[in-house]
Amino acid sequence: MRNTFINTIINACKIRGDIFIISGDAGLGVFDEFKILYPDRFLNLGVAEQNMTSFSAGLSMAGFKVYLYNIVTFLLYRCYEQVRNDICYQVLPVTLVGIGSGITYAPQGMTHYSVEDIGLAQTLPNLTVISPIDPVEAELAAEYSLNAKEPVYIRLAKRGEPAIHSRKDFDITVPQVVREGSDIAILFHGSISNDVMDAYNKLSKENISPMLVSVPVIQPLNKECLFAVLKGMKYVVFVEEHFENTGLGSILMRFYCECKPSWKIKTMGIPYRFIHEIKDTVNMRRLFGISSEGIVKVVKDMLEV
Amino acid sequence: MDDLKLIAKEIRKTIVNLAHNSKGPHIGSALSCVDVLTTLYFNVMRLDPWDKRDIFILSKAHAAMALYSVLFARGILGERVLEGYYKNDGTLPAHLDRFTAKGIEVSAGSLGHGFNIGLGMAFGFKKSGVDQKVYVLIGDGESQEGSVWEGALFGSKLGLNNFAVVMDYNNLQGYGRAREICSFEPIKLKWEAFGWHAIEIDGHDICAIREAFGEDSSGKPKIIIAHTTKGKGVSFMEDQLTWHYYVVTDEHKKKALEELR
Repeated sequence: MRNTFINTIINACKIRGDIFIISGDAGLGVFDEFKILYPDRFLNLGVAEQNMTSFSAGLSMAGFKVYLYNIVTFLLYRCYEQVRNDICYQVLPVTLVGIGSGITYAPQGMTHYSVEDIGLAQTLPNLTVISPIDPVEAELAAEYSLNAKEPVYIRLAKRGEPAIHSRKDFDITVPQVVREGSDIAILFHGSISNDVMDAYNKLSKENISPMLVSVPVIQPLNKECLFAVLKGMKYVVFVEEHFENTGLGSILMRFYCECKPSWKIKTMGIPYRFIHEIKDTVNMRRLFGISSEGIVKVVKDMLEV
Repeated sequence: MDDLKLIAKEIRKTIVNLAHNSKGPHIGSALSCVDVLTTLYFNVMRLDPWDKRDIFILSKAHAAMALYSVLFARGILGERVLEGYYKNDGTLPAHLDRFTAKGIEVSAGSLGHGFNIGLGMAFGFKKSGVDQKVYVLIGDGESQEGSVWEGALFGSKLGLNNFAVVMDYNNLQGYGRAREICSFEPIKLKWEAFGWHAIEIDGHDICAIREAFGEDSSGKPKIIIAHTTKGKGVSFMEDQLTWHYYVVTDEHKKKALEELR
């Protein structure tokens, strides 16, 4: 997804002279091609996240379309106030490209996990948040950001995510049915998509066909379209690689209480605590019950099969 | 120069009136940078045509009353807007919001932001060959923010000859003197060690301020360390810590305006 995203931006540079990429000393090798093609449009601002963020705001105010690239924790957490005051409060069209979403970097340790970024993003008015599930959504997210007049945060994992969408002529701001199904829907966003697809395949073998719905734009959430898509369902399972108490799941629960739909819902996420276990991403997801096995179990429990 | 001194005096009167009407804090901080702002807006900066104007960023935005009063004196901000300062359903907040009025270039208030925004903006103008300069005013208390030093460390390599920062060095921040609170000095040497062209001046000497802005910095970004007095122009406010937060009463206002006659 990361490479698709970057390549979409590089392609746009052929016809646009205003694109500028800033890295906070992250992304070794990612920008090699870009730096060769457009050496004047890339700057590594070093390990100095406050300066990186405010500087990007200033560059944006001077007329550039700025892409700020860093690991999520060093993009939103370390410099939260700069993102809040300089980019979001001033409504600048800076795109924050965050990598290492969720527990992508396991077992690097808690300092490098981004399991609360959606919670932080919820506190930032004017910020559009996109969490793609596959390279197609990453490309559409890049295209969205190129046209955006407001700040955008794109939440990416690393690379190597499976292709899920077969078409790319859809509106990324609207929740997408990626697999048709009945009775039960699985909602998801971001890089947990490979476990969702695994779960879907496992369930299919047992003649259970859930509808899969991706929610690429988390903020602002298109609630009306989402609830329209889910109409007729009996059960909804939501899964994300994020703290369960502050992610999209918590937003869904709020809407659920407000709208009182006919379906039952179960949200799945990472428990709200610091992570001390040493495991890779696959095993960490398993531990937290958000791996394909966990998803299959929750679906079956809901269906009581 | 005499004209500028008179203008600066008028601006100080406006600030006293604003502080009195609003019953808000920070008059001392506003009065200390009036001479720098007056020189910038009436002598140094290009403001015409407006879309190609030089940019001033008040990074120590708690001195917003100074900026509002200078913009008013320069005819950029109208009287009605000024009168709505710090009022319910008013027009201007205590710290800067760029969507409130013409001439407010950057929203600011939390310290250590405007300086770095200015660096990015100056770099952007230079990149796109735009002939606009960027000026930033930071405080001495503000200079304790790590972000300022992140910018200082990086800024010198950009070859920004279109950027100048002024430090309003009144040596009185919210709760004490910069020099006592931390190892502030030798501040000029610190900036020089970071690769900046540093100049030290009397921040109330309009000739010295003008010369400092004009001084060639050989392609380096420039920092003008302006030694100032907090509350400058009103004797009982000068160099008094309390006037960071004190409210201007009727009596204070009367005495202050008499001194500024």
